[in-house]
Amino acid sequence: MNVLCEVAAPFVANSAVEGTPVARPFRAHADECLKCQARHAAMARTARELAAMSKETFDAPLDLEWRVMSALEGDLAVARSWRTPVAVTAAVLSMAAAVLIWRLRPRTQT
Amino acid sequence: MDMARVERDKEKELIARAQAGDRAAFGALVREHGDEVYTLARRLVGDPHLAADIAQEALIRAWKALPNFRGDAALSTWLHRITVNTAWTQRRRARRHNGPPLDDFIDVAAPMGPDHPEMAGEILELRGRLRRALDTLPEPQRQVVVLKDVYDWSHAEIAEAMGISVSAAKVRLHRARARLARQLEQSA
Repeated sequence: MNVLCEVAAPFVANSAVEGTPVARPFRAHADECLKCQARHAAMARTARELAAMSKETFDAPLDLEWRVMSALEGDLAVARSWRTPVAVTAAVLSMAAAVLIWRLRPRTQT
Repeated sequence: MDMARVERDKEKELIARAQAGDRAAFGALVREHGDEVYTLARRLVGDPHLAADIAQEALIRAWKALPNFRGDAALSTWLHRITVNTAWTQRRRARRHNGPPLDDFIDVAAPMGPDHPEMAGEILELRGRLRRALDTLPEPQRQVVVLKDVYDWSHAEIAEAMGISVSAAKVRLHRARARLARQLEQSA
């Protein structure tokens, strides 16, 4: 096993995926080494397969839509459950403030 | 009028209705894009159950963020970004509970492959091995490979989504590809 092949391997892989020349320090070696050339070819094929994967899809679980919509329904229910107490509290506070303002108003003596 | 345009118009209408709060329209969008979101999540995290949870959370986030969707990018691109962010948040959450996985810090060297590195065989066989090899990559490495080499994101987009610098994204990708090549060579 050639140590240089192993050191060059990441650069050979990168060059194959990017479609660029192998990094300069390893270029001369990679150009002459059959093992590195084989690795380059294998990685180029891998890169094509990776790109092809973007067109494949896994089937989502059948209940995904149900899970999402139930969660949204739950959020809405929580929002609704808060709406009434908040509105009642706001109304009570407004009335209390109105009464307070009315009681504290400056009175004119007749 | 061509079919692609009809589909685009239909989707625009669904988006507009969903933005106005129509959950049935959003349900139709979930049906349309659910597989795509789940596929990306599955490729990012590997585990099908976790991927389902991420897809669910991503779609819920999408619903909440939908009023801000301006349509500058395609809906699928926008959903991809949300899915990646969701996967990343889940990972950070898991790290807080379990501590960082060891392979985040050290690039565990896989044993060297055999002396005959040629990858022979049918495309299907290669794809099977490729999926298995991707699954063996540490998650941060798998994510950069998936985003760059499968979904063709730029280094800058990956860096932004993963909260790392562009150079860190490049280094991670470089290591990930080397490791992937080693894994494939080993399994050949």
